[in-house]
Amino acid sequence: MNIKPGTEKNGQGRNYWRSLEHVQDNGDPREFISENPSELPEGFSRRGMLKLMAASVSLAGLTACRRPVETIVPYVIPPEQVLPGVPRYYATTMPLGLSAYGLIVESHEGRPIKIEGNPRHPSTLGASSAMIQAAILGLYDPDRSQSVLHDGEEKTWADFVEAWQSLEQTHLEDQGAGLALLSESFSSPTLARLKSAFLLRFPRARWVTYEPASAENVFDGLELAAGQAYQPAYRFGRANIILSLDADFLLSDTENVAHARGFAEGRSIQSGNDSMNRLYVAESAFSLTGANADHRLRIQSGRIGGLLVAVAAELERLGLDITIPGMATRDSGLPDVDPKWIQAVAGDLLANRGEGIIVAGDRQAPAVHAAVFALNKALGNVDSTITYHDLKDASISRRKELIDLVAAMEGGAVSTLIVLGGNPVYNAPIDLRFAEHLSKLNTIIRLGPYMDETAGLAHWHVPETHFLEAWGDARAVGGTASVIQPLILPLFGAHSAVEMLGVLTGGGDLPGYDHVRATWKETLGQGDFEKRWRRVLHDGLLQGSELPPVDPALRPSALSDAVMALQEPAGAGARDAAEAKGSLEIVFHRSPAVFDGRFANNGWLQELPDAITKITWDNVAVMSPKTAREQGLRNEDVARLRYRDRVVELPVWVVPGHADGTVSVTLGYGRRSAGRVGNDVGVDLYAIRTAEAPGFDNGLSLEPTGKTYPLAGTQDHGSMEGRPIVREASLEHYKEHPDFAQHAEAHFGPGEKLFKDPVNWGEGNQWGMTIDLSTCTGCNACMVACQSENNVPIVGKAQVEEGREMHWIRVDRYFTSPASEEGTESAHGSEGSLIRDPIPEEPQMVFQPLPCQHCETAPCEQVCPTAATLHDREGLNVMVYNRCIGTRYCLNNCPYKVRRFNYFNLTKHLPEVMKLAQNPDVTVRSRGVMEKCTFCLQRINAGKKKAKREGRQVRDADVQPACQQTCPVGAIRFGNINDPASLVTQNKQNERNYDLLGEINTRPRVSYLAKVRNPHPDLAGA
Amino acid sequence: MSVEAFNVTSDDPTRRAPLVLGDHDFESITDTVCGVVEKPKPPVAWYIAFTISSLFALLFFVLLAYLFGVGIGVWGVQNPVGWGFAIVNFVFWVGIGHAGTLISAILFLFRQKWRTGINRAAEAMTIFAVICALIFPAIHIGRWWMPYYMIPYPNQMGMWPNFRSPLLWDVFAVGTYFTVSLVFWYMGMIPDLASLRDRAQTRTRQVIYGILAVGWRGSQRHWHRYERAYLLLAALATPLVLSVHSVVSMDFAVSILPGWHTTIFPPYFVAGAIFSGFAMVATLLIPARQWFGLKDFITLRHLENMAKIILATGSIVGYAYSVEFFMAWYSGSAIEQFTFLNRSLGPYMWAYWIMVFCNVVVPQAFWIKRIRCNVWLMWCLCILVNVGMWFERFVIVVSSLANDFLPSSWDYYTPTFVDLGMLAGSFGIFFSLFLLFCRYLPMIAIAEVKRTMPQADPHYHSAAIGVED
Repeated sequence: MNIKPGTEKNGQGRNYWRSLEHVQDNGDPREFISENPSELPEGFSRRGMLKLMAASVSLAGLTACRRPVETIVPYVIPPEQVLPGVPRYYATTMPLGLSAYGLIVESHEGRPIKIEGNPRHPSTLGASSAMIQAAILGLYDPDRSQSVLHDGEEKTWADFVEAWQSLEQTHLEDQGAGLALLSESFSSPTLARLKSAFLLRFPRARWVTYEPASAENVFDGLELAAGQAYQPAYRFGRANIILSLDADFLLSDTENVAHARGFAEGRSIQSGNDSMNRLYVAESAFSLTGANADHRLRIQSGRIGGLLVAVAAELERLGLDITIPGMATRDSGLPDVDPKWIQAVAGDLLANRGEGIIVAGDRQAPAVHAAVFALNKALGNVDSTITYHDLKDASISRRKELIDLVAAMEGGAVSTLIVLGGNPVYNAPIDLRFAEHLSKLNTIIRLGPYMDETAGLAHWHVPETHFLEAWGDARAVGGTASVIQPLILPLFGAHSAVEMLGVLTGGGDLPGYDHVRATWKETLGQGDFEKRWRRVLHDGLLQGSELPPVDPALRPSALSDAVMALQEPAGAGARDAAEAKGSLEIVFHRSPAVFDGRFANNGWLQELPDAITKITWDNVAVMSPKTAREQGLRNEDVARLRYRDRVVELPVWVVPGHADGTVSVTLGYGRRSAGRVGNDVGVDLYAIRTAEAPGFDNGLSLEPTGKTYPLAGTQDHGSMEGRPIVREASLEHYKEHPDFAQHAEAHFGPGEKLFKDPVNWGEGNQWGMTIDLSTCTGCNACMVACQSENNVPIVGKAQVEEGREMHWIRVDRYFTSPASEEGTESAHGSEGSLIRDPIPEEPQMVFQPLPCQHCETAPCEQVCPTAATLHDREGLNVMVYNRCIGTRYCLNNCPYKVRRFNYFNLTKHLPEVMKLAQNPDVTVRSRGVMEKCTFCLQRINAGKKKAKREGRQVRDADVQPACQQTCPVGAIRFGNINDPASLVTQNKQNERNYDLLGEINTRPRVSYLAKVRNPHPDLAGA
Repeated sequence: MSVEAFNVTSDDPTRRAPLVLGDHDFESITDTVCGVVEKPKPPVAWYIAFTISSLFALLFFVLLAYLFGVGIGVWGVQNPVGWGFAIVNFVFWVGIGHAGTLISAILFLFRQKWRTGINRAAEAMTIFAVICALIFPAIHIGRWWMPYYMIPYPNQMGMWPNFRSPLLWDVFAVGTYFTVSLVFWYMGMIPDLASLRDRAQTRTRQVIYGILAVGWRGSQRHWHRYERAYLLLAALATPLVLSVHSVVSMDFAVSILPGWHTTIFPPYFVAGAIFSGFAMVATLLIPARQWFGLKDFITLRHLENMAKIILATGSIVGYAYSVEFFMAWYSGSAIEQFTFLNRSLGPYMWAYWIMVFCNVVVPQAFWIKRIRCNVWLMWCLCILVNVGMWFERFVIVVSSLANDFLPSSWDYYTPTFVDLGMLAGSFGIFFSLFLLFCRYLPMIAIAEVKRTMPQADPHYHSAAIGVED
């Protein structure tokens, strides 16, 4: 008999809900079964047989049980403050490595459906990222592990606790000598407390922390420079000059939300007289940060160190006292970098002492980070734009610990391994042969959310909770402590790391709540605990818990040797120079969508187009046009990557602006047991990533395989074809020509209207939006926020290839070239055609978020034969799904192509659990109807109701569409354009404001503020 | 009179051959035309053709079931190309229909007597083409179970359809066209149906043709009413020839899309429709006159006349193509200019040049009389014209949509096997219906043909033999 309380595969059962209590009251039927096995023993009585049958029938009803029966209570006495249809909001925290994102989560009748940033929290500031937005879908993932397994057999949590309690006896005897625990990195008071307790209990046990993509090199660099690891916190808002060395602080970095906000603060201008920060980026792959740069230098990752030395030398020449002996006197060895570039950077940094930031990417060697620290220190940036904090309550990833652990496993020194989260079988360095060594262990205990690669090799697998399901706590970068407050009971009976550690430390099987409160009692004090605890839960953080900045002292002597090594052409992973000659550089990137692979089963993130390549559902080998030409490769060719005697095959994607001689690859794909969504999506690059060079390395060779592989991109064409779509100017030009944005289009003047306006647009609330292209970084957070808010379905790779993605707001990406540069070759997909978009060698990139423009003279409305799309009194172009028969005429006639058609029934076969993620305020669309951005009509109505209750007009704060709310940089503004006080009205009066395709007289309600960059005057035109 | 006695395609008005060749009298005409229907078995070619076309028709319905079951996504339509083969086929088939109405109505009003040999078959072709055309807009909508939302019917929602939408105009235009064409065709057939009834040998035939003949007795009064009604219907149908395809073209012309938004579309579409329609009539009648022994009624002269019309309309179409380019340049709109350059040199250039070759170059061959008079060569060229006209619609619909205002949304449209199967299947339906028509209904308007014979003009009002009045 198969008892699977978690699965829903057996569709029957719901009819039996009422009899359940009887079944359970009459004793646990499972016991009954175990006493009476279904293989009938001899002499089994007729009466016994009937009893067994009766129990079987009753149990059939248990197949669909998800929740314990005692919680199923009708709202005879409704819970206090819960009104059906009125959402509640709770503060909680999403932990991710050493980062913690303070969140406000919207809950409808007990189910969380939408995540927003917590305005009080320093890491989110009310905004969020695509990854954070998508976490809600991860909660309702039906592929999450649903029961405790022991050697593939289903067990219970109680069984596991019992098994551990017998197992721990042997380890207690030898103080845990054969015991090892492998965890992910964390920054959490409770976990840190339990970690100490664990190590106290098993003093000889190993606690290993490993993250495949971590800031380990940053900490090592600080250790090198200052003798101790500190956590840097960057205040980009205070910086005038930013030099980013192979760092993608705007997207891939886990603190991207706060960084983007700070960056935008220094960048948003109201007029040409405002000052703007200036961003210099030197990097190999075109990152989102590079796309937002004022000056971008494409350079191999291995030569960043050399570039840094050159900058240091220039700074020293200009009179900066750099305290590292020898650093500045070395020859930078960078003949092909324009000295003007380095002079400009150094000059700017020096002129903005204490108001600049030099930031290096995680993958750069510790010596680079040490030197960066030294330079920041010398420039007076430390404690001004960058603060350093103690790593309190943190467990940071150490590759060396993992190497030691594997050695110990190999040597037989470890008998029991506990894997607390993480997926080392998938993402451990390949040369460690981690999975192979696992087989030598007696017991492997694994806590993890999925039956993934690691769980498949574990003896005990315990499902792990989602952060919205269990109590916990976390410290954000900078030290702000907050509580992880669950919004729902564990959907699949999972347990949290806190609860697991509670058992492992001998604290017994206590709820996580007790553990967390025990920690916080120490922090908050016994006296006023309940009140202060509630305050923390309400605020989502503990006020005043941020750690004071420390000023690490520089140790120049220890530094100089390390920094000397910087000129080595390949940096940290430098191999024999002779061997490196003629080979390519490989650079490993963490995915801004699936992270290190842990979000691989999240459809929203898989279908989120990459910010740069716009490719969905795959990872690719990115290279420059020149490198591709030299290697005889084109887009969608499958290349064989040979690196350190290991081989993977990966499709090629050419990105102009990528460094020549470098191939960038993204980690986190090619999962084998991620779940139905994530399995076999893309290629696993951990398969060639070694412990020695996890960031970048030379020694890669490429061979064409002759095969091609179709990639599903959401944007095929990257040139604006000379059309004034994204309008841009330099700050200088803007000063001289404040109205530059108005002179881009052909002047047809405001056209006549063919039809009368349905209402007077001058009356009442009239909704409008502005999008500031100057601050928009192109991070895609708005796309996922919209998807979550508006129940936008995913369609899968094949349908994206067909061009049928459903995103209501998309982010268009165009390449632009400086006027001086001519194109060199024709673009992908348009050979032999008219559409020759010249690919410049040094392009710049611009982004343009595109929701429905809500045109006042909407071309879609006029052509719909059934009047299914029309205007409401407040200027919204609305869709009446019931009325739509799907002629798709509106789609054809939409000049912005923002309408989305349901080519299939995309929601019908959604697993039941995932339906819980849907916003009850938004209609779920069926097959054959058109849909599109509504300006979050449901939120507008909620805001209007609120204003009406309070007897006043709607204000800006009342209504925020999902895209606006989540935008980390505040580029999107929405409001009543008839209200002179609203931000959107003010923006629309700005001289940079322009209508996209305004010349065709659509009169869109969405308008754009033209982009302004701030290039260095000496580098103009480059 | 024997065939040899005349140069059938003489261009000398005084030496024109009669419209009916051979030693036909009134009775023999009836015998020949009704004989096709009354023969126990049709020719073998009919069986082969019907088997093939009905299999394709079957394929259409199988794919239709798949489409209805799964959704529009089984086609290649996407963002930004929201309309694909379905609308291309719709416009193509509506266009085909036009020749029938032109022949039966306009040529009737212009007293072109040569129309009598081909008008019945051409009208039948119109009906079947419009049937094929009507299928596509009905099934191309996302929710195929509710096309009635486009009809202004009284409903509890108090909702009217949107009268500003050209798609709604289509519903009325094509609906009217189909109704008028059907009535015109059927009414014109009543005297001939009565002949079939009178000659019927079996009870079944007597009953069926009897019902269809609606009591026609051939009395003077009947003839009088009949001819009045025929004239009125011809007058009604005549503006439809111009209006239907003009309205269809407004689906495109009224939109905002570069490549669609052009005022030249209505005349250009009408010319194209007549062009393709005549090509289709020739495509059908050349084999039909062979198989059913109707060469005396559908003579080389009829075919040559059609070739001349194809040449004329084809040249208009070619002129329209060039005017489009001129207007794009003249407009000064960069996007408009791009659209037309992209059409001819962009990703769909293959389709564009197929179109230009078939529609502009091929019909120019009809300047040469030898080609006009070579029946089977003409048949091949007419098929090319049909291909070209299908591609014209493909080019207009797809290439304009695929590369419009914002380059970010550009994409390449590729049809699926369902698209291709349904296109082939619509030809299957069309040919199946036409073959059934050949087998069961009088292919030649017997009564009308008789009126063009010298015997019908006993008082020799016409000075010379066969001169049109």
